[in-house]
Amino acid sequence: MTKIATLLAASLFLLASPAWASLEISLAPAPANPAQPKMGDNLKFESVIANTDAASARGLVAWISLIQVDPGHEQPVDLEDWSAHKALAQGELAPGAKLSVEWPMRLIQAGDYRVVISAVQRGASRPVTSPLVDFHVERKAVVESQRILPVAFGMPALLAALALLRRRRRLRVR
Amino acid sequence: MSAALLLARKESAELVKSGRGLAWLLALSVALSALSLLLVSNTELSLLDNAQVVYMVMGTVTALGALLAVLLGADAIAGEKERGSLVPLLLAPLSTGDIVFGKIGGQLAAWAVAYLIALPYVWAVGSSGQNLGQAVAYLALFGTPVVLGFGFYALGLSARFGSVRGALAASLITLILLASPLVLGPGLRQSAVGRIFDAVNPFAAALNSFDSAVIDSQPLSMQLGRLGVALVWLALAFWFARRSVQALEI
Repeated sequence: MTKIATLLAASLFLLASPAWASLEISLAPAPANPAQPKMGDNLKFESVIANTDAASARGLVAWISLIQVDPGHEQPVDLEDWSAHKALAQGELAPGAKLSVEWPMRLIQAGDYRVVISAVQRGASRPVTSPLVDFHVERKAVVESQRILPVAFGMPALLAALALLRRRRRLRVR
Repeated sequence: MSAALLLARKESAELVKSGRGLAWLLALSVALSALSLLLVSNTELSLLDNAQVVYMVMGTVTALGALLAVLLGADAIAGEKERGSLVPLLLAPLSTGDIVFGKIGGQLAAWAVAYLIALPYVWAVGSSGQNLGQAVAYLALFGTPVVLGFGFYALGLSARFGSVRGALAASLITLILLASPLVLGPGLRQSAVGRIFDAVNPFAAALNSFDSAVIDSQPLSMQLGRLGVALVWLALAFWFARRSVQALEI
């Protein structure tokens, strides 16, 4: 009777415990990052994904997300221009093992941002996330399209018009 | 009016006022427009410092000016020969210096017009206004001797080769070699050979001065050595052109 009770308890425990390993993710800006980053600068964020479980984490995928938090402009940021290293896949993370990942980023636009690393393993019903890290990107004077576009289109148009005018005059004289 | 001035007026009128003249001006402005649009539309380039962008445009304008001077210089004597108008030119009451100065007068006019066309582009990309005045002044100060030097050099080759194609090929190869710092950037200066090449190359002298004055805001007194390199290039190229024209025989 005691054996049956023990087996039942063990089965219930196995059923209740998740089938995936528990992970912890830390995230911090790299020490070499500029103190006041501005547009065009490069930043790095360092994360450590630790498997704190007795079981291996399989089919692990980690990715970086960036959220703009300027009042009135709150939105997730498409990292297309910001980073070429947006995700990482790891077949297996052994029990107690740690995986260090660097996330480089080029700062494209001024504003206040929060960055977070998420990870999910095969079969897991929810992702694990790191703490959020905040940073601010200073504005920088860059090439202004309002100044360039009229010149870039206007100058060739003006010269082409002059050439046409000249051609017309010549034809008239003939 | 001196004979050299008359020839220069004729040459510049052919270059600037003719339909062909407007065509190359249009091509020049299209090239600068393409560069400007690239600076706006490319994420990497659009995040460059404003002064860096102005520097890039200045380098490109100098290279385009030198290219124009090479094209005109290569045609100056050999073109006359191929069109059958060299003998009348040599029989005209003109000294060797008059011919060289007259021919280069047309190139000077072409460079002046190219410079004027480039100014709106320099203004447009220099939106922060950082050292914009210096950019305009340095483009004239360093661009002129470098561009005219290439004109004299190509003219000399044109007289020596007697063939537009030959003179053009040799001048273009020289231009590509000397203008290589525009593409290679500061990496060129990292080796001893690169530093020596950089020190004697007039094109590099102009580019380094643009960098120093526009990006690093350094004074003119620091550019005098480089200005000397550009002026020596101009003097040597003029001497070569004059000697080459003197050696012409009817």
